Parts: sequence; structure tokens; C-alpha cells
Amino acid sequence: MRLKIKLSLFNLLSKLVFTAIFLLLMPFIIERINLRQVDHDLIDKREQVISLISEIGIEPFITSDSSDTFGSYNILKEEFISLERISPGEEINYIEVTSRLIEGEEIDYRILSYSFEADGQTYLLEVGKSLQSIVHTGKNIRQVMLVFLVFIILITFVSDYQYTRLLLRPMDKIKNKLNRISDPSLFDMSPVKTTTSDFVRLDKALRELMSHINELFQKEKEITVNISHELLTPVSVLRSKLENVLLREDLDREVEAKIEESLKTLHRLQSLVNSLLLIARIESHQYLREDSFSLNEILREIIIEISPMAEDGGIMIEEELTDDFHIRKANRSLIFSMFYNVVNNAVKNTPPNGEVLIKSVRQPNMINVEISDTGKGMTEGQKNTLFSRFKMKNKDSSEGTGIGLAIAKTIADFHNIEVSVSSEPGKGTKFSFIFPGNS
Amino acid sequence: MNVLIVEDEKSLATEIAEFLKAENFLCDLAFTGTEASEKIAINLYDFVLLDLGLPDHDGLDLIKEARKTNSEASFIIITARGEVEDKVRGLNLGADDYLAKPFALIELLSRINAVARRKFNLVNPDVVLDDFIMQVQSRKLICKGNEVDLTKKEYDLLQYLVLNRGKVLTRQQLYEHIWGNILDDQYDSNFIDVHIKNLRKKLNSHAPSPWLETVRGVGYRISTPE
Repeated sequence: MRLKIKLSLFNLLSKLVFTAIFLLLMPFIIERINLRQVDHDLIDKREQVISLISEIGIEPFITSDSSDTFGSYNILKEEFISLERISPGEEINYIEVTSRLIEGEEIDYRILSYSFEADGQTYLLEVGKSLQSIVHTGKNIRQVMLVFLVFIILITFVSDYQYTRLLLRPMDKIKNKLNRISDPSLFDMSPVKTTTSDFVRLDKALRELMSHINELFQKEKEITVNISHELLTPVSVLRSKLENVLLREDLDREVEAKIEESLKTLHRLQSLVNSLLLIARIESHQYLREDSFSLNEILREIIIEISPMAEDGGIMIEEELTDDFHIRKANRSLIFSMFYNVVNNAVKNTPPNGEVLIKSVRQPNMINVEISDTGKGMTEGQKNTLFSRFKMKNKDSSEGTGIGLAIAKTIADFHNIEVSVSSEPGKGTKFSFIFPGNS
Repeated sequence: MNVLIVEDEKSLATEIAEFLKAENFLCDLAFTGTEASEKIAINLYDFVLLDLGLPDHDGLDLIKEARKTNSEASFIIITARGEVEDKVRGLNLGADDYLAKPFALIELLSRINAVARRKFNLVNPDVVLDDFIMQVQSRKLICKGNEVDLTKKEYDLLQYLVLNRGKVLTRQQLYEHIWGNILDDQYDSNFIDVHIKNLRKKLNSHAPSPWLETVRGVGYRISTPE
């Protein structure tokens, strides 16, 4: 999952959790606040009543000859005040919730009870307020809060997401810079513009690393250029001299044959040097991987190239190129060389009436090319040294450097192609090339 | 034609000169970049064979320089540096061809001739070989009015031999010309023998082809008419 989505989701989730806790606790809080407010009101009312009594006396409410109680409530029975003459005793002063039966209706009240003395008598004053209204207020507040919170969460989620995106944009740029290239030498060395110091540091570290790698490749490249020049120049001189001698018309047959032999030997040296340099150049990334091409097209070209040789040796080349694959970000001529070397090797190592089979198969997430022959096969030991550079596979042969498979392996490694070999002595050998899925 | 050979390896330069003189070229030698740039400034050349690995000069700069005074000259780069980009850079600067050392002298000659033909718009004349006519322009081989069905490789091989008529070409020279350097490690003299064998079979099914000779121990040659 993308980082910006992760961050936004985490923000959303944490907000939801806090909101849920808040909504759960809210009834208690509201109740507490309301009760305190109600208690304040009740105490205010009590003070008003007491000051009224001290002003006009208790008479207007309770006369000694009539009833012992006075009661007053508003029409919706939300509040009431009552006065009652009680026998003297302990002082009463508390607030509590009680149910009262008023005109046949039981209602929950918050009631303040207070005893006082007036005209030598003890009276109990009760001021009550219905809790019905409190419950309603709580519900209303909760609903408003809920709508408000949902709104806030939505707004902050969108703004969080947008801001995170903006914030992480430099990282996307750095990532794209890395993704786009097939080789360190193609890395874009211009710094990514950002005010976030972490990204500045990351970008700088990457750029330094890349230029270090490029420097190393550059050094290696200079070495191969120098070796190439130093080794191939003398070969070139010798070759031109021998070729010039060979052009003379007065040449003895014997001398001619000797010179031709020398040229052949010189050519072996030239091939070996070129092959080793090719490996060095591939390993120091002097080839670009920028081509796109069809894999089957290459395999068919190779079959056409090698067919005359195979036919001459009485060998059938069979193809099963069922699925075609488009290879991207690869070097076409190197890939051609790789398969050519392996197919040629298969043809050379297959006796007459044998068969070389070239197959391309799509497998989940990968492309597999198989080259199998009905040749003499290999022992386990031969298999292990198959790709090594200086083991001559065929000691009788005076031509070829026996380095073809080592080159094929180097090219495969350069393209992250996995090569595997299975072989049975006397039955044949099978090479598998597994291309990475994103090819 | 005038050729300037710019090559710091003296013995190679003289060998090239000896070979080209035998082919009726006028050759001038320069062993350093400075020497080369002086000669380019004074003389007019048809061809400059340029080694990029000069110790005192970037060979590619010489091409730029020569463009001013020797605008008619064609450049063939010869180098042992083997750098992939050299070829691209050289051709971008206007070099006409590129040859990697070590090369066959005969290959150098055929490149020079190819560049010359392009430059002067020369049309390769048809070549008559007994009953066969090679139509170089249309890449066809005709025998008594019928086209001989050749593969691309077989035709290339025959044409290279025809263009170098009278000279013995070794299997290695033929192989390098047809397959280039990328498959160097797979060189097998048998390749050429198989192709010549197939070629002969096809030719002989139309008419005898005694002009395609095998020179024992050396290679192949197309004989010149008496």
C-alpha cells in the first residue's frame, strides 16, 4: 500500500477511535454539566424564596389555621416549590433525585430540600425541577455533536490526504528517477526540489552513491579500453604483415600454408582477447539495455543462421515458439549472441540424426526459453565447469575459444536472466532461460 | 586516390600503406595527431584512415578540424579501443565507416571501395561469370534467364568474392565480413565451407561453376577471366 494512503488511513482511524470514545463518554459529561446547572438554579430559587419570606413573612404562604403545606408548580409540571411545616429536628439541606406523584403522574425530579425556621416554627422548603428537559437537551447536543464530528472527520481526512500527497511528492520523484533507468549511468543527477530535509538527505545520498558507482564503472571501462588497445594493436600489426606476405604471387606452397596456419593461430588469439574484453565490457556496463524486441523473432533469426550448419551435420532444428514475448529494456545484439552461442553449442555437441529443440513458453509471471538437444550430455562435473571461462570444453578443436557459454552466462546475468542446465550423459542437455517477469 | 593513414603504430601504418599502394592508392602517413592535423591543413585527401587511440590528440577532434579544410575527404575510423560509444560518436561526427582492429586488409579495401561508390554515385556493373550474371545493384544472380535462389548469406559471400575477384580470401576473412565481430568467439572455419558447399550445389544445378575455386590450405577465390 502506498505510504500516503497508509498515513491518511491511520489518521482517519485514530480520529474515529477518539470520536467513538468521546461519543461514549458524552452522556455522562452532559448529565454532570446539566445537573450542576440545575443545582445552581435550585439554589438560586431557594435564595429567592428565603429572601421573599424574610421580606413578607411566611403568612402569605402558610397560615397557622389553614393547611400545613403550600405547593406551587407551573402548568407543565417542570418545576415546583413546596413549603411544609415540620416538627423541629435535624437541619435538612440536600439535593437528590426522587420521583413525585403530581396529579396522578409520576415524574422524576431533582429536588432541593432545605429546612429553616420562621416565626418559631420549622419549615421544610422543597424546590424541584423535572429531569425530562435535561434528557432532551442531552439528546439534542449529542445529535449536533455527531453531525459536526462526521463533518470534521471528512474534512480533515481529505485535507490530510492532500497534504501528505504534497509532502511525499519529492519521494515519488526520487522513486521515479530510480525506476526509469536501466543503468546507473543514466541516473538523473539534478537534485530533487524539496524543503523536507529528510528527502534532501536521501536524494543526496542516492546521487553520491550513483556517481560513485559510475566512477567505478568508468575506471573499469578505461582499463578495458587500455587493455583492448595494448593487446589488439600488436595482433593487428602481425595480421597485416602476414596478410601482405600472403598476397605475394611468388610464394612457395609450403610457405603459404605456414602463413595461413599462423593467421589461424593469430585469429584464435584475437578471438580470445575479444571474448574476454566482451565479458569485461558487459560486466562494466558499457552496453545499454534500451532495446525492445520480439523474442521469437530473435530465435527464428538464429535458427536461420544455424540451419545450414545443422543440416550439414544431419541435425534437425525443431521450434516450438507458441507464445511470442516482447522483451523491453534489453540489448538486442547481446541477447542474440547469448542464444546464438547456446544453440550453436547444442548443434556442435549433437551427433548426426540428433535433434535440437527451441521452445518458448509463458509461465506465470515469467518467460521461459528452453534449448534442448539429444547430444552426448554431460556429467555432473562437466556441468559445474560449463560456464567457467578457461575450461576448454572440446580440447580437440583448434577453433573457437570455448568461451561462448561463459559469454552467454555473462549476458544472462547482465539482463537478470536466470540460466539453468539439466543434463544426462548419453541423452542430452537442456538449457533454460527464465526472463524476469517485468520483461 | 589520395589516402592519409593516421596511425601511431608505425609498422601497422606501413603495412596498410604497402597494401593500398598495390591497389593503386597514393598513401601519406601521419604517426601523431599533430602531424595529421598539419597534413590535413595542407593537402587534399579522398580518404583519411583515422586511429582514435592517438597519444597526443583526440582522434574525433581531427574529424571536426578536417571538415574545414578537407571537406571532400571521407573518414574511416580504425580503432582498437573497442568502445561501444566511439563508433556512435564517430559516425555522428560524419565518419563514413568504422573498423575494429584487428581487421583484414581486404576488408579495409572493400570498405574504402564501398564508401567511394556511395560518394561518387558509382553503380556496380553487372559481373559475368561464364553462364552466370551477377546483378550487383538488384542483388540477383541470373543463369540463362533464371534467377538462382540464394540465401542472403550465400549471396553476401559470393558478392564479397566477386568484388575481390582474383584474390584468395581466407575463411576467416570471409567469416568476419559476413558475421562481423559480435560472434567472434563462435568462429568456425566449417561455417564458410558449409556455405560454399551449398552455394556450389545451387550454382551447379544451373550450370558448371569452375570459376569458384578452392585454394587448398588457404581459402577461396573467384578466378579472373582469361
